[in-house]
Amino acid sequence: MSQLAVDVVKRNGKRAPERFDHNKLRRSIHAACLSVRSPEGQAAETAQKVCDAVIIWCTDKPEITSADIRHQASRTLKRFHPDAAYIYQHHKVIM
Amino acid sequence: MDTVTALAIIALAGLMHATFQLSISMVTLLSSHSIGKKHSGAQTTRLTLGFLGGTVTMTMLVVSFLTAVLSSLFRAYIPLAVWAVVCGLLIGLGIAIWVFYYRRQAGTALWIPRSMARFLSTRAKSATSASESFSLGLTSVIAELIFMIAPALAAACSLSYLPHRWQLPALFLYTLIASLGAGIVVVLIGSGHKISDIQRWREQNKHFLQFIAGSGFLVLGAFIYANVVALAAVAGNVTLK
Repeated sequence: MSQLAVDVVKRNGKRAPERFDHNKLRRSIHAACLSVRSPEGQAAETAQKVCDAVIIWCTDKPEITSADIRHQASRTLKRFHPDAAYIYQHHKVIM
Repeated sequence: MDTVTALAIIALAGLMHATFQLSISMVTLLSSHSIGKKHSGAQTTRLTLGFLGGTVTMTMLVVSFLTAVLSSLFRAYIPLAVWAVVCGLLIGLGIAIWVFYYRRQAGTALWIPRSMARFLSTRAKSATSASESFSLGLTSVIAELIFMIAPALAAACSLSYLPHRWQLPALFLYTLIASLGAGIVVVLIGSGHKISDIQRWREQNKHFLQFIAGSGFLVLGAFIYANVVALAAVAGNVTLK
């Protein structure tokens, strides 16, 4: 899939916005699935589905925040894999 | 002070140390990133054991250091004033744990400054060798030194009263009990439990754990006050024998 023309505003706006990178999102979802011991195939499939859903959601938006992406990805991931969604949502507040 | 009382203080101080959550949070993050990066089970175990080794080493070093300092300053008898300070620290930190050990937000975010939490989290994410995770283990104990100092000081004061042949086993006892929390998580992860289940349990029970930890500090403070400070004050001693 080609890169979407959507700018992502980083957390707190301290860093310059960057283009939405669906591979980056897919890698993080994939890692979250693997970290709760999902099989590799299921993790890849779930990551792809979540990524597709987020791409559809953000296609008509010129600018989104990284928090928006995380929120949308978490909501979608919760439908496919609640355990992975829990870790994906909470990994920043474990410590 | 008799040997049994000294050992009881050391064991209870170790138990209070075991209630600290930073090491547990870090070992959870470390394992989560390691499994997420498709590291083998053996590599994940090496990382978590390396981390545990770091916490054990630094705990022993801190308690040994405090014991050495107290012994060199006061020789065989620790002044009552030092015991009173230990009691005050335990009671003050017990209340502090009740009030702000966990942040008031979802998850198990701790009191530590967010910049430090981000730094430790980034280091846990990038750790790939046992030596890196060992260093993280060392760092995690230092990062919680502000809370750890009270039980470690109580243990160090008690250690200096023990006969020489008891000092090393008592130090091992403290370290073993203090490392139980992180050790149990390492065993659970190594035996195939899901990180999400462990983390969910921690989040659901965090207020209970916080209450128990704070109460434990108060109990230890009261125990030392009753068995050491009050007893010696009634007997008219300023140094405890």
